[in-house]
Amino acid sequence: MDASSVRIRFTLNGQPRSAEFPADTTALKLIRDVLKLKGTKEGCGIGECGACTVIVDGKAVNSCLMLAAQLDGRTVQTIEGLGSPEALHPLQEAFVKEHAVQCGFCTPGLLMSTKALLDINPAPTRAEISKAIAGNLCRCTGYRHIFASIEDAAHTRKEQT
Amino acid sequence: MSRLHYIRPETLAEALDHLDRHGSRNRILAGGTDLVVDLRNGDARPEFILDVSRLHELKGIDVTPEGVSVGAGVTLSEIQSSDVLERHAPALRKCSFTFASRQVRNVATIGGNVAHCSPCGDTVPPLVIHEARAVLASRRGLREVLVEDIASGPYACSLPPDELILRFILKPAADVTFADFQKIGRRRELVIARINAAAMARQEPDGRLSFFRFSLGSCTPTPHRMPEVESCLDGRVPTAELVWEAGRLLAERTIAITGRRPSTIYKEAAIHGLLVRMLHPLVTS
Repeated sequence: MDASSVRIRFTLNGQPRSAEFPADTTALKLIRDVLKLKGTKEGCGIGECGACTVIVDGKAVNSCLMLAAQLDGRTVQTIEGLGSPEALHPLQEAFVKEHAVQCGFCTPGLLMSTKALLDINPAPTRAEISKAIAGNLCRCTGYRHIFASIEDAAHTRKEQT
Repeated sequence: MSRLHYIRPETLAEALDHLDRHGSRNRILAGGTDLVVDLRNGDARPEFILDVSRLHELKGIDVTPEGVSVGAGVTLSEIQSSDVLERHAPALRKCSFTFASRQVRNVATIGGNVAHCSPCGDTVPPLVIHEARAVLASRRGLREVLVEDIASGPYACSLPPDELILRFILKPAADVTFADFQKIGRRRELVIARINAAAMARQEPDGRLSFFRFSLGSCTPTPHRMPEVESCLDGRVPTAELVWEAGRLLAERTIAITGRRPSTIYKEAAIHGLLVRMLHPLVTS
């Protein structure tokens, strides 16, 4: 569809950004195709798999279900803002340590859902973890290692504080 | 083909002006979790998208003299964490726990869920048992309509395109002792309801129900109250036999509306069982 262009300003991974794109651009398309941040994945494209999860103003959202225009003035965090290859975020370290990654396609989304959870609830129960990541499908691991990683990360964080 | 424009009004007046001029070529975006999917698959081809998500007139959950007011732009996550709704509309709050996923609940709104008119919208049966009215605004003024009357069929909204839902007013349920929302789907999380239902009741110390409201969703073209089931239980003591009979009546009335379909063999028993399970806490031997 032909679409007029929209210009927005927002904060992406701590940096102020501006972007211009056609009005029908989703937040996911902006992140991946305009800003070339390929860590956020497109799985189903209709909000069922959670591979595209990013954090907007502290809340996990499906970037495939959001127009990029809705990000105007918001604070957005993608997997690229979580850690770096040299210095992994403790959550990423826990995922590696507990073997929570197989094909890896769901991992960025799971990490963002988990980050949003731990930011408001540093010591979640297993039921709370389950509820927080229910919108993130993983077809490889069977979830057990993912739960173990999240519990490990929460535990490590508690010990450090 | 015409170009798609994204409009985010600063004020309600601007929004209503836009809808007055372009309503029929416009789609309203509240959270976007349904609309963006419709845009993607081509079911929606508007010329304008009006993003009302930042209008403060659509926000907030308050107790007012007319009833409990829930802004159309209130998200399912806000419903989930609302103490006001836990006190005054617990079935509505309960439906938010199993509504899609956390990512969707953080964005999706009650106004969008109602206006989308899906037969299985989870917020509709809980609104219907409160005889909720939607407050609608347009350049022509304000008016109110029962939530039960908004959908004219599956995904068919009866509201004119120049109107915007501002909020819902839920009739306060005085001294209700029981309220519940139940949903049957193919899995536990991220599930679209195959059957959903909301009920509330006031049970007197002698066991008699002095007030009973029930709404079924997903099974009929639009969710609505089931007067036969309500009058079967209202004013009576819900014995196991009576609740069983009410469940049978509910399944019978539903099939009277939908006709017998391939899924009826399952749904007849499931609808019956859902009501029996739901009302179990009320059963007096």
